[in-house]
Amino acid sequence: MKLRNWSSMPATGALVLLAFGSPASAAAQATIQGTITDSARSRAIAGAQVSVVGTGARTQSMPDGRYRLTGVAPGSRTIRVQAIGFSPVTRDVTVPATGEITVDFVLSNRTVQLEEVVVVGYGTQTRENLSTAVSSVSAPDIETLAHASVDVALQGKAPGVQVTQNAGNPGNAVTIRVRGAASLTANSQPLYVVDGVPMVSEDISQLDLGGQGVRGITGLSPDEIESIDVLKDAAAAAIYGSRGSNGVILITTKQGRSGKPVVTFSTYAGVQSASKQLSLLNATQYLAFFDEAAENDGYGARYMEDQLGFTDAVNTDWQKAIFRRAPIGNAELAVSGGTESIRYRVSGNYFGQEGTVIGSDYRRLGGRVNLDFKASNKLTFSSKLAVSGEANHRVEGDNSLTGVVGNAIANQPMIPIRLSDGSFASTADGLQYANSVAIADLNDTRARNGTILGSLEARWLATPNLTATGRVGVDLYTVRETQYESPGIIGTYAASVNGVAKRAYSLGNKYVFDGFLNWGRAWGGRHNLQVTGGSSVELNRTESNFVRGETLSDPSLHEVSNATTVTDFAGTRAENNLVSVFGRANYGLADKYLFGFAIRTDGSSSFGPDNRYGVFPGGSVAWVMSREPFFAGLKGVDLFKLRASAGLTGNQAIGNYPYQSSACTANYGTEAGYASCTLGNPSLHWERTRQIDVGFDLELFQSRVTLSADWYNKRTNDLLVSRPIAGASGYISYNANVGNIVNKGIEFAITTSNFRSNHGFNWTTSLNMAFNRNRVTKLFDDQPFSAGFRLANRVEVGQPLGAFQMYRFLGVDPATGDAIYDDINKDGEITGADRTIVGSPWPDFNGGLTSTMAWKGLDLTAFFNFSKGNKIFNGMRLFSAANGYYYDNQFSDVLGRWQKPGDVTDVPRASFDGTSGAREVSSRFIEDGSYFRLQELTLGYQLPGSLARSLGFANARVFFRGHNLFTVTNYSGYSPEVNSNGSTANISLGTDFYAYPLARIVSFGFQVGW
Amino acid sequence: MRRLSRNLLVTTAFFAAACTNFLDTNPPDALPDQLAITSPAGARAALAGAYNALQSGSYYGGDFMFFNDLYGDNALHTGTFSTYGDAGAHQFRADNQTVDDIWNAIYEAIKRDNLLIEKVPNVAGLPSAERDQILGEAYFLRGLNYHNLVKLYGGVPLVVTPVKRPEDAASLTRSSAADVYTQIVADLKQAEQLMSSDSPTNHATVAAAKALLARVYLYRGDNANALAKANEVVALGFSLALDYSDLFDADGKDTPEDIFKVTFTAQQFTNAGYYWQSTDDGGRAELGPTQSLIDAYDPADLRGQWNIKGTEAGSASGTKWPTAIGAEDFPGIRFAEVLLIKAEALARLGQLPEAVATYNDIRVRAGLAPHELGVDVTTQQQVLDAIDRERRLELAEEGDRFADLVRSGRAVTVLGVPAFKLLFPIPQAEINVAPGIVQNPGY
Repeated sequence: MKLRNWSSMPATGALVLLAFGSPASAAAQATIQGTITDSARSRAIAGAQVSVVGTGARTQSMPDGRYRLTGVAPGSRTIRVQAIGFSPVTRDVTVPATGEITVDFVLSNRTVQLEEVVVVGYGTQTRENLSTAVSSVSAPDIETLAHASVDVALQGKAPGVQVTQNAGNPGNAVTIRVRGAASLTANSQPLYVVDGVPMVSEDISQLDLGGQGVRGITGLSPDEIESIDVLKDAAAAAIYGSRGSNGVILITTKQGRSGKPVVTFSTYAGVQSASKQLSLLNATQYLAFFDEAAENDGYGARYMEDQLGFTDAVNTDWQKAIFRRAPIGNAELAVSGGTESIRYRVSGNYFGQEGTVIGSDYRRLGGRVNLDFKASNKLTFSSKLAVSGEANHRVEGDNSLTGVVGNAIANQPMIPIRLSDGSFASTADGLQYANSVAIADLNDTRARNGTILGSLEARWLATPNLTATGRVGVDLYTVRETQYESPGIIGTYAASVNGVAKRAYSLGNKYVFDGFLNWGRAWGGRHNLQVTGGSSVELNRTESNFVRGETLSDPSLHEVSNATTVTDFAGTRAENNLVSVFGRANYGLADKYLFGFAIRTDGSSSFGPDNRYGVFPGGSVAWVMSREPFFAGLKGVDLFKLRASAGLTGNQAIGNYPYQSSACTANYGTEAGYASCTLGNPSLHWERTRQIDVGFDLELFQSRVTLSADWYNKRTNDLLVSRPIAGASGYISYNANVGNIVNKGIEFAITTSNFRSNHGFNWTTSLNMAFNRNRVTKLFDDQPFSAGFRLANRVEVGQPLGAFQMYRFLGVDPATGDAIYDDINKDGEITGADRTIVGSPWPDFNGGLTSTMAWKGLDLTAFFNFSKGNKIFNGMRLFSAANGYYYDNQFSDVLGRWQKPGDVTDVPRASFDGTSGAREVSSRFIEDGSYFRLQELTLGYQLPGSLARSLGFANARVFFRGHNLFTVTNYSGYSPEVNSNGSTANISLGTDFYAYPLARIVSFGFQVGW
Repeated sequence: MRRLSRNLLVTTAFFAAACTNFLDTNPPDALPDQLAITSPAGARAALAGAYNALQSGSYYGGDFMFFNDLYGDNALHTGTFSTYGDAGAHQFRADNQTVDDIWNAIYEAIKRDNLLIEKVPNVAGLPSAERDQILGEAYFLRGLNYHNLVKLYGGVPLVVTPVKRPEDAASLTRSSAADVYTQIVADLKQAEQLMSSDSPTNHATVAAAKALLARVYLYRGDNANALAKANEVVALGFSLALDYSDLFDADGKDTPEDIFKVTFTAQQFTNAGYYWQSTDDGGRAELGPTQSLIDAYDPADLRGQWNIKGTEAGSASGTKWPTAIGAEDFPGIRFAEVLLIKAEALARLGQLPEAVATYNDIRVRAGLAPHELGVDVTTQQQVLDAIDRERRLELAEEGDRFADLVRSGRAVTVLGVPAFKLLFPIPQAEINVAPGIVQNPGY
């Protein structure tokens, strides 16, 4: 009985799905009630769809898991329960003529959820009828996050979606790549759509803090999210046309359920700590090392003591001084309920964490009201409104001379943090860089974000087969930033000008107007057709102001108003608009042969009049082979479906006016001026990604094993590139469509129910892995180029995007102690021409493994994620393993350095003048970034109903949870999950340059419902 | 209700249609190129834009200046930028990013000059005197920019009309250094003729064109013309600033010595002070004076006292530019240099007494005793050596040294480098996209 009857298809979520078929039976006497719980976590399942097969009787479960079906006709009936993220269950019951019977259900968790409702853009489909590649993550996997950015929930859970936490600072943005990277210059982040409304997902902040990004996605609380669906193949993403190349992330928020008001409160509190400390030299080792470096280069013995006057009387552990144990906490209070005509869910949430590095913290306060209002049997309205405010107290990181983490690693151990008079030690006292503790204490950098995300949707059920939907959505996002650089940090620019204050205001607003029709019909017992068509208009507005002032009157005054000189200012706006028409048709023949077609035409203001419109089609087919008669004899195979799809998607994220020639402001003193700044290209057009996908879904032994696998080949042509042209023209770049990138790979997810019983021990494991291969196949004139920190990343035909190119380190000459590099061109000299590809930042494979066990209300979940074969350019070692060229403290592996002829080691000799070659950018600093991490471990207990009720709750659950508990890796830095160049760094992934380390978190929490 | 749904659809369709107009968007803070330099105000704005190019952090606002001292014998790399380290060590690779940046910054400036020269003659409503003045300034700037290129890179692509298509950029080739010099002299003569007005010191003037011509003739070894042009400048009534330090005033105030200076302000700042000053003084100490420069100053030399803090190379810092804020103006060409040009031309022409008398003005201003011919200096070579020394001491930290060493033929000896290193490499990135541009030998 698998979905033979289309009428059992639910209309859930924000997006309407047509329900057609026979209306509910009028003769109704009996009531069926019961509770629905999760086998793995022993938790109540809210919002499960309960229906009596073959009748219109249906309801949803309450947040405490209870449901109540009234008006059920007597006789032998089949009750069916389905919920997102769980295997559906059907049970035959005999319904009495009158009265009430109790039927409880226990649902088991699955990764491949064939009958789950999948949000696909302007509509939903069931997993079973899907012929495209879509991955989903639902609430139970989202609410366990201890991260401000809800998209981190996809990490290790959605195969083919690579999530990288760039750094561990609170409130940080993450890098997401769906099936590799498909762009060079244009943004490679996926499109984010919340309840049907695309959101402002780019980083509009103005203060550049290395890889630390600020993005609107952190304005959403994980508590309010029902599910996240990722459209991965082109046939699925084609409905978002010109923005589908990098995948589409569809976020659906929780809805109200009709019934008595149900109040839920969930919270956790925990402690974070830095997950690792780097091993650095102590004062004695430091002085001995630099003495040797000086002596080796002829500066005489005891140079540090006798010439510079240092002693090892003080031994400062700078890392210890900046890291701390820091609290983290979250709370959500939600009320949900409603009547036949109005349903609501109102929630408020708070999330706060202090950083594990002093001087950083993050807070978010948010609220959401989701309403569904049924004006008549034919007209319903849905409104969604979320408001949140974030306060992100930041510390500089990464590529800065005043980075707290960087300077803590670099600061010399024989210098105290504070002098005897209590003031901070500074460069005047022998520090080579600014005092990291002073920076954290005295400087102040903040970003305050405001998000208003709302939509109003009207649905008109014009005929039983046709629904018209009109929707207006807005995302009003603002980022206000301030930065104060204290004059108290001797040795900085701010000290010489008596303080610097900055204030930046950025606004990114999006207005979306959609109108679309959903039509569906089943006929002849064999044919099902669903058609969606509509149009959309999207207006994007950005505004920004910036002002920077210097020379402030008093150390306690931090505002630009207190400055005497404005040294920088800006203020402007920009707009970018999109007009679209789209359509989709899905046809099912005998539930065995599924055909899908989607198309979108976008018109974009980013391109010139001749290239403004693009057409993006996608098609898919699926064959549910298990329904063929010849399969009937195969016991144990519940479902076997083959899928294939092909399509074209685009990318236009290369700024607002990339095709135009213009003259920009170029003032001279008090004279207002301008100068030609871009060489326009009227023929500029979309980046086009052609993708084919072949996959299958398999379900065995009554869902004990589910497997879904895909192979894809994704080829991006006409890359939008700001390509270099001869600078002698007066322009250094030119926006053009040149080059190709291919991503191809295999990804799969398998879930097995190792033990399964309704009330005893349950154990489920899920594993997913993705193997992506990325190659640049064509460039402008096939000219390679370099990018990233120290130009370490190479873009070259035949190589993975951003492969590391540098000298190949061969070892240390036992006779001289000098580094030996590979003389690639054999000319006897090591020159720029000897740089060669030494590794790729892309993993061979990555994925996640989840194990869930449950027994009598207890549940234990362990979630691991892993990555194999990706290389990291450990840029810290350029300084901390330069072996004496800089005064930075050194990683303790220099203790194994070459010291005398005959020493065999791979650590070059200490050299004051850098003559050992140790400071060259080489594969000596390329490390294996493979890791296997216990990302989450949760032990939970669902109190028995009677106990919960005696405590005054309808239900209650307590849990202990740990995040990032251990990592198996050979990487020498803080964390192998790192990206110091930030989310927009398409071609310079895999660099670690003093990134803020990820935290280890241990927390306790509970959830109660009334 | 049915009507409502129809209205909904009609509204949506209408909206979609209306919105096609929304696809014509223009940046609110930039001008479409075809509208630039089409009015008198536009011509003036574009002229300001041409001067703005000189402020670039890769040009007079930074790298160009620093690399002349760093690649010469005045400065030592004491910071963290690897491209600067390679300059200090005379180990340029063809892909040195800063070498590329300097090239691009100067050509950016030339593009702006070319656009003025192309479009200003057609601007309606511009009084002819003003039109000639603007054009004259543009020719001056183009001459200055090409001279700065040819000094460092040798013969370069001679772009004298605006490049409008990327194909035209890709097919550029190098001209000989001699051809570039011919263009420079022609531009500067044109500038000298066209200009008439008394411009402020931060714009080109007839005097600036004459002074720059004198400099260029000296580089070409045309001592008679160098002397003639220097004398024409002297006749215009300039004088040395009373105090050497007046020239490097934190706010860029004028002095009688200014012939042409590049304006910098707190917003349009130079990196000079920030890069030269020690970290204790709020700088980043990216470069510092060499021991040979420190030792070259007599302790009584007011210039040494102003220019350098400390006595040990490595820890000493360059203090010519007093603030890290960077609002000091940069003397593109000042009267002291004209006197040194005049002195050198005289010396090379064998007029030693006049030569010594001329550079003595510089020495006296620096608080040093004047040289006496026959006592302190006797031979022509000694006079030339003395002038070279004065140039170094006077113009230290002003980005003159490397080109000056090459011009005087001392570079190979003083710097201890093979002859091919007397030219910077042509940026590899340039050759990659314009294969007709050939690399300098040795790189």
